[in-house]
Amino acid sequence: MNAIRCSWVGALAAMVWGFGMAPLAASPKPAAKPQVIRDMSPVVARSSPADLAVGKKLFEANCSTCHGLDGAGGRGPDIQGVAMRLGDQPTGSIIRGGIPGTAMGAFWSLTLEEAGQVLGYVKTLGASATGTVTGDAAKGRATYEKSGCAACHIISGEGGGIGPELTRVGAMRGPGYLRATLLTPGAELPHEAGAMERGRFTLYLFMHAVTKDGRAIDGMRVSENSFTIVLQDAAGRFHALRKLELRELKKEPGKSLMPSFKDRLSAAQLDNLVAYLASLKGAQ
Amino acid sequence: MKASKYVLAVVALAIPLSSFAQVSYERLVRSDREPQNWLTYGGNFYSQRFSGLKQINTGNVGALRLAWAYQTSRPATNMESSPVVVDGIMYLTEPPSTVTAMDARTGAKVWTWSPILPKQVLALGLFQTNRGVAVLGDTVYVATIDAHLVALDAKTGAVRWNAHVEENAKGYAITAAPVAINGEIIIGSGGSEGGVRGFLDAYDAKTGKQLWRLWTVPAPGEPGSETWGDAVPAGGTTWNAGSYDPELNLLYWGTGNPAPDWNGDDRPGDNLYTCALIAVDADTGKMKWHFQFSPHETHDWDAAEPPILFDAPVGGKPRKLLGLANRNGFYYVLDRVTGRFISAVPFTKQTWAKGFDANGRPIVIPGSDPSDEGTLVYPSITGAVNWQSPSYSPLTKLFYVNAREMGSYYVKSHPNRVEAGKPMLSQGGGGERPLSGDDAYGAIRALDAVTGKNKWEFPLFSPAWVGTLATAGNLVFSGSDEGNFFALDATTGKPLWEIYLGASLRSNPVTYEAGGQQYVIVSAGTTFFAFRLP
Repeated sequence: MNAIRCSWVGALAAMVWGFGMAPLAASPKPAAKPQVIRDMSPVVARSSPADLAVGKKLFEANCSTCHGLDGAGGRGPDIQGVAMRLGDQPTGSIIRGGIPGTAMGAFWSLTLEEAGQVLGYVKTLGASATGTVTGDAAKGRATYEKSGCAACHIISGEGGGIGPELTRVGAMRGPGYLRATLLTPGAELPHEAGAMERGRFTLYLFMHAVTKDGRAIDGMRVSENSFTIVLQDAAGRFHALRKLELRELKKEPGKSLMPSFKDRLSAAQLDNLVAYLASLKGAQ
Repeated sequence: MKASKYVLAVVALAIPLSSFAQVSYERLVRSDREPQNWLTYGGNFYSQRFSGLKQINTGNVGALRLAWAYQTSRPATNMESSPVVVDGIMYLTEPPSTVTAMDARTGAKVWTWSPILPKQVLALGLFQTNRGVAVLGDTVYVATIDAHLVALDAKTGAVRWNAHVEENAKGYAITAAPVAINGEIIIGSGGSEGGVRGFLDAYDAKTGKQLWRLWTVPAPGEPGSETWGDAVPAGGTTWNAGSYDPELNLLYWGTGNPAPDWNGDDRPGDNLYTCALIAVDADTGKMKWHFQFSPHETHDWDAAEPPILFDAPVGGKPRKLLGLANRNGFYYVLDRVTGRFISAVPFTKQTWAKGFDANGRPIVIPGSDPSDEGTLVYPSITGAVNWQSPSYSPLTKLFYVNAREMGSYYVKSHPNRVEAGKPMLSQGGGGERPLSGDDAYGAIRALDAVTGKNKWEFPLFSPAWVGTLATAGNLVFSGSDEGNFFALDATTGKPLWEIYLGASLRSNPVTYEAGGQQYVIVSAGTTFFAFRLP
């Protein structure tokens, strides 16, 4: 059942979010990247204090929306230490050319020099910037299992599919973000990947709908377009609703189907759970 | 039995194939007399995108069904083409610069033509796509991404002539549909992001010889260059189709942003004639008047939206008017004879202008320029509208626009210097930090064409890139960015029909009649969908 439910979510998500996967562009009329950039010289990291100051501004303007101001990830992945893992040149190529088929677009509006300044700044973003992991991941796993998380989340194929899959959550979200979500779920929801206004909608948004015949449905938004909305309720049931048949439809930011673990876990248990989640970087 | 069916099929197919007719200039002028056809990009010279067809109407549109679909061969970038239909044959374009002719009743292909493009094509700030063709006589005209204008035989797709409009290596690239008038083919170019110098060209329809060129920004030292400081004037490209008044013999074209875009420090002044509407004598190519919407523009609010020409009384006197929903959030009405400003009212949220002086110059709210840390301004970089066309119904006197409600944090970056004749490969100058998708939305709005007053609106989940189509069936067709295609009552905005096409719509719907049935066609994703009644 879970598997079926889960693939249905996937199909629905692909339908609506799939076309939000075009490259993010920092720009204009049919904001786009050029298919050919002539000057594909390698990006050289520029790290003088003046360069880093410019790189910081450019990063904040172009990159922080997805990767967070500290690069620790938000709706986009944690990129702290990325240049160390991939090397300067591949990282520079990604900044200029994007990663085709993902939300990481080509930043064609950056000059070679500016890309070098961004690269220089990205290299300064350390894992210690925020969201330090202090707990014990092995103990955190036990906390995860005892706390009923698997009723709603899947890790490496195990668990229930109401909430987001967590198999790679450590690669996608920073530890600070994971901690905040455990304490106040729904306070800061991630955004879907996407280019311009086609994407970047709030994921797991809690909504309240009332049909014209008086039936109320509370649940998490699975997909939405101008005529239809799909909500998933706390029991995992999907409700595909025609907007023209609704009397009321409102967003309830801050609410979530997930309970807060603030009063359910000790400080140490919370640290351990964060450590465990942050360690999840496995393949799907 | 089998053989006779086959013969029947061939005979049926032979009707449209044998009916390639001459499309005279007179037919284009009086396109309202043949609503079964869609003869020009904008539906008529006035770019009204209104059809006199009413077989599909408010009473029966709910029964609309898919007739056929055409999937493009290239799994491509945005499909932005809006087809032209002549006597049962449809001419549509596919990215980057392919033309396909087909039977409009079935979608069956008649011919297809693609240019041989250089290995490296420069497309700065634009998608490698194409928005459509022009037809005149027995010839189909298309402009290519590498900045050529090509004349094709309407029956076979064979090349009649190929004019080299400009150097792609300098940053010129064309996505717009040409406009065919009396013996002339009018075309502009894109490339403002690359710092090119904008122009509007006319070519002899028979030979491809250039008849005139109007530069939209002055050369250094020429009149108007005093509005650029010491900068090399650049940008002001005419990257969309324009409109034409055959009686006044005036072409009306919008111009794009100055370059570099988001940082105007090096180009103090109004930067004529960027982000403006220019009226051009079609015989001489001389500018008759201009109206600048956004002087010294720094938000990428090109004025390249197709202007709609219409006649209506203002203060009791009949006037020849021009209506334009601008990317900057205002709906403008100008006198199209003189270019005089009549009114401008916001049709979306805008936070950059307090109002206008008597000549229509905006009174700018201080602090709305891009900044190092980002300035939140409405509309967004992609604008309150973009390239997609609005429509106007002479029956309801309403102007239908797919409005985009969205803001951006405008960020200023390093200034770039424009060097004459050299493309700015890295445009720099800044960009945007867009708002979250849930902080934006769209709406089909019906504006009183003279006053700009909003008569009704139909909300959309997100800002869309789809034009509108108005018909004598009292319908307005449009679409959403999520993939909905729908029909609204033109008088009330009430939704009457909708289908989910599963991918983003990025074009202008058009309608035509073939084999006695009215069709409505639009593209979504990489597929064209044609609908008709059962």
